[in-house]
Amino acid sequence: MNKELSYWLALAHTPKVKTKKKNEIIVRLFEQGNTIIDFFHSDFSSWNVKYGLTPNEVELFKSAYQELPNYAFLVEDLLEQGYNILPITSQDYSPILKKNLGRSYAPPLLYTKGNLQILKEKSVAIVGSRKANNISLEFTDNIAQNASKDYKVIVSGFAKGVDKQALDSAIKYKGQSIIVLPQGITTFKTGYKKYYKEIIEGDVLVLSTFYPKAPWSVQFAMARNPIIYGLASEIYVAESSEKGGTWSGVIDGIRKGRDIYVRKPTNREKNANGILISKGAKAVDQKGFPTIYEISSGNSSILSESELSGVEYNIIELLKQGTFDSKFIVEKLNINWSARKVTSFLKKNSEIEIIKGKPMKFTHKSRISDGQTTLF
Amino acid sequence: MNREQAEIELKRIFGFDKFYDEQWETINMLFQGKRMLLIEKTGYGKSLCFQFPATQFKGVTIIFSPLIALMRDQVKGLNEKGIKAKFINSEQSLEENTQTIQEAINGKVKILYIAPERQENQEWLDATRKMNISMVVIDEAHTISIWGHDFRPAFRRIINLVKLLPQSIPILATTATATKRVQLDIENQISGNIRTLRGELIRENFELYVIKVNSEDEKLLWLAENITQLDGTGVIYTGTRVNTEIYSRWFEFLGIDTSEYNAGLDSVSRIEIEQGLLDNKWKAVISTNALGMGIDKSDIRFIIHTQIPASPIHYYQEIGRGGRDGKPTKLILFYNKKKDKKGIEEDYKLPKSFIDGGRPSIKNYQKVINAIKLEQLGERQIMKTTNLKQTQVRVIKADLIEQGIIKEVLYGKSKKYEYQFNAPELNTRSFDELRELKLRELDAMLEYVNLTYSRMKFLCDYLGDTSRNRYQNCDNTNLAKYQINPKEFTKQKLVEFRETYFPELKVETRNSNIVNGIASSYYGVSSVGAALHRCKYENGGDFPDFLLKLTLKAFRRRYGQEPFDYIVYVPPTESGDLVKNFAEKLSSILKIPISHKLIKTFETKPQKVFKNGYLKRDNVLNKFSYSEPYELEGKTVILFDDIFDSGATIKEIGNVLTRLGVKKIAPLVIARTVGGDI
Repeated sequence: MNKELSYWLALAHTPKVKTKKKNEIIVRLFEQGNTIIDFFHSDFSSWNVKYGLTPNEVELFKSAYQELPNYAFLVEDLLEQGYNILPITSQDYSPILKKNLGRSYAPPLLYTKGNLQILKEKSVAIVGSRKANNISLEFTDNIAQNASKDYKVIVSGFAKGVDKQALDSAIKYKGQSIIVLPQGITTFKTGYKKYYKEIIEGDVLVLSTFYPKAPWSVQFAMARNPIIYGLASEIYVAESSEKGGTWSGVIDGIRKGRDIYVRKPTNREKNANGILISKGAKAVDQKGFPTIYEISSGNSSILSESELSGVEYNIIELLKQGTFDSKFIVEKLNINWSARKVTSFLKKNSEIEIIKGKPMKFTHKSRISDGQTTLF
Repeated sequence: MNREQAEIELKRIFGFDKFYDEQWETINMLFQGKRMLLIEKTGYGKSLCFQFPATQFKGVTIIFSPLIALMRDQVKGLNEKGIKAKFINSEQSLEENTQTIQEAINGKVKILYIAPERQENQEWLDATRKMNISMVVIDEAHTISIWGHDFRPAFRRIINLVKLLPQSIPILATTATATKRVQLDIENQISGNIRTLRGELIRENFELYVIKVNSEDEKLLWLAENITQLDGTGVIYTGTRVNTEIYSRWFEFLGIDTSEYNAGLDSVSRIEIEQGLLDNKWKAVISTNALGMGIDKSDIRFIIHTQIPASPIHYYQEIGRGGRDGKPTKLILFYNKKKDKKGIEEDYKLPKSFIDGGRPSIKNYQKVINAIKLEQLGERQIMKTTNLKQTQVRVIKADLIEQGIIKEVLYGKSKKYEYQFNAPELNTRSFDELRELKLRELDAMLEYVNLTYSRMKFLCDYLGDTSRNRYQNCDNTNLAKYQINPKEFTKQKLVEFRETYFPELKVETRNSNIVNGIASSYYGVSSVGAALHRCKYENGGDFPDFLLKLTLKAFRRRYGQEPFDYIVYVPPTESGDLVKNFAEKLSSILKIPISHKLIKTFETKPQKVFKNGYLKRDNVLNKFSYSEPYELEGKTVILFDDIFDSGATIKEIGNVLTRLGVKKIAPLVIARTVGGDI
């Protein structure tokens, strides 16, 4: 994988080409059993036919090709300093992010520092204003406490107010968290100092999607919001006004059918939480539990059952590579599940094909249908 | 471009008519964007294999080289041919390096030489984002292999870089000395279908000798009587810096014109001596093995080693710098075979001690790991928290980085070391394996010493050159052995030298009125150290009188009849009045008044407790004062102490006295240590 990284940076940082276009190239390569290296070393003139690139895009990727040696220097530097570089094809890339943002918006490349396992866990984003009131901050603390107790990861944008509270609380309750940076991965000097212990102990993962040396900017702060929403399995809204990042993120999420829980405001509060609830977000109380209204409307659980745990994810991923029985899966992945539990989990999972016999074996459906896996 | 066209260009740019076949083969592969490893002896013309294609490529060729002198020489040579070549290294000022980087970005440089350590420099890394890079060259490629004889941790990063470079960019690795194992290692690391060309290593003009002696004196005596008989000029390699000093004082004493060189010199002096060597200014340059790698001098007529190098590869590499013009050249190796009480030969000890001392203890590794687990630390902070020597900290850091336990992270200009999540346990097995390898190599070096057949054949075999040549030209084949048979006169000279040779104390700085001082002896080299130790630590009473005589002699030698106003002495930490009593004796003999007013204002710990300069300096900083501050204004003083180690105390007192207006501070001590041997 390492030798591909310079090529990945070249692709990801090619300007003026939409993420969707880049992901489509990757999907095409993936389907053909090719790598990104094959793309850059193939005949430029075939690009427009093979990958549907416009003449302008061909030119842009040509100059990216010229810069490959330069990216090699950058990648070497980043790896040497302990940053991780995760292309969208990497086993370590966040499955939640890939699923939530899809090929239109999932960034082709993530930069991280810290414990990568965090990207595989169920996650909660608590969003809200930079100038949130005390009720909102208390709410945030409650949600973070519950999440940490349930081994869910807190996704924080490291802004003031709710963001910061979510992170501090996760650390207080010994939970894990992801800090999503509004800047390049290498420019978070004070943060790395402050969260040094948490990072080296595996409780905090820092993540960025921007050019590694880019300083903080307003555009990045805005561009980061979808990443925060995308990294979360559940979204809790502590406090939203009728405009701004939180508002537009939540509206977008409702439209996409995401699970969004909004704190039910008290009568005296002046914020837009009530409006969001009226637009379809689910109301929760100060502790994060569904309000009476919500329960009566039939939504009995705030837990999203559709998300996979880290272990579950790993099992599914393994089965994308072959056909195995439960005992083998337990040994191969070295998990503390019983073989029976694995069998029961797999029997219920719609992605899995059961192959009868003794012992019973399982494989991923994608392997059966056309012999190809899919990227998204 | 075909060979014919290339040779027209070759003639035009470099003035040569033809390429050797292997040269062209290499160049042609590079033109096709391939990766090559070229193993050819010194003087073969390896450089042309990258210099020529570099002139034909559109962008810049980056050459990673550990040899500063080589960079300088090659850049000069290229510029004279009108080729735009530059280098970036620690010898240039920041501004010069910055300017070079700018020119490279702007496409005004074709060939850019750079030290591998630069890969840690942020300015350089930022610049690499903007250059149009056509080719990457790794010079002295054996240094990228942990199995190579001169492994440099900084090269690990170059390897990582090479792995990340796109497949289409040509890469050339060159070396003159790679065993089969090192060759395989380099091939593996550079990967990506690398091709290797290996030439013959025989140097037919080399005349190889080994002179076995029974004492250190015999080496000095033989050199005294024979060095002027040798043709031309050459280099004498000593095993340690102290020995470069002793040998060069000896030649000075004999009136033989030599110069002294070591890696501790500033770059101006280094350049001056290297230039002097090129100009045959002296009969010989006495040096540690820091000198000569990459120096483009074709007529070094002799290379003498006063100690055996660590392996036959080191030896071949070091003598390889001689006789590049193909004319007869003498390569002489001394070996002191005298056995000590335990039956160990004297000259086996130094290289063995390098192997034993080369790696810090596991406990110290753990100390560093534990410190970094607690917080991000810079190098200086590590030294302060762990109380380890800088050299040790550097070895430990490099190993921990290599093993993925810590990383060096750059924040702006500051470098911090960070522990890694999920870091592996320290793996000490690789340390043991390397140690075993080094011991085997040292044994092979002894085999060379005791060899009975052709010495060149042994070296070529050892380096994996299997070609069948007729090996001649050594004291085991057709040449007569050198004998040790010194005249009485020379022996007498050496006695005189021993009695009048005093080590210098280098303490001068710009902001202090302290001058370089003198010691009566080295601590570990003579009976002086033992005598001091008895008095200081075994209640042996006052320092004995022979030390007084010796110290007075050293004083006269350094300061002659120069008058001084006072003798002051360093107030004691743990040895009671020994220093004071000794200073009083000096005072009464020299008739210079003694002052007891230099005092400690705070307790200090014995300096030997601290293992690095930072802590030693902190230990004494602002701890001294003078009880009658105005007394010393405009005066000259002798500053006396028993032992000089890092010099931190003497320098600090120098600063204190300078601030009080003392005109001259002249240090005088009984013994100077050699690399912390108390």
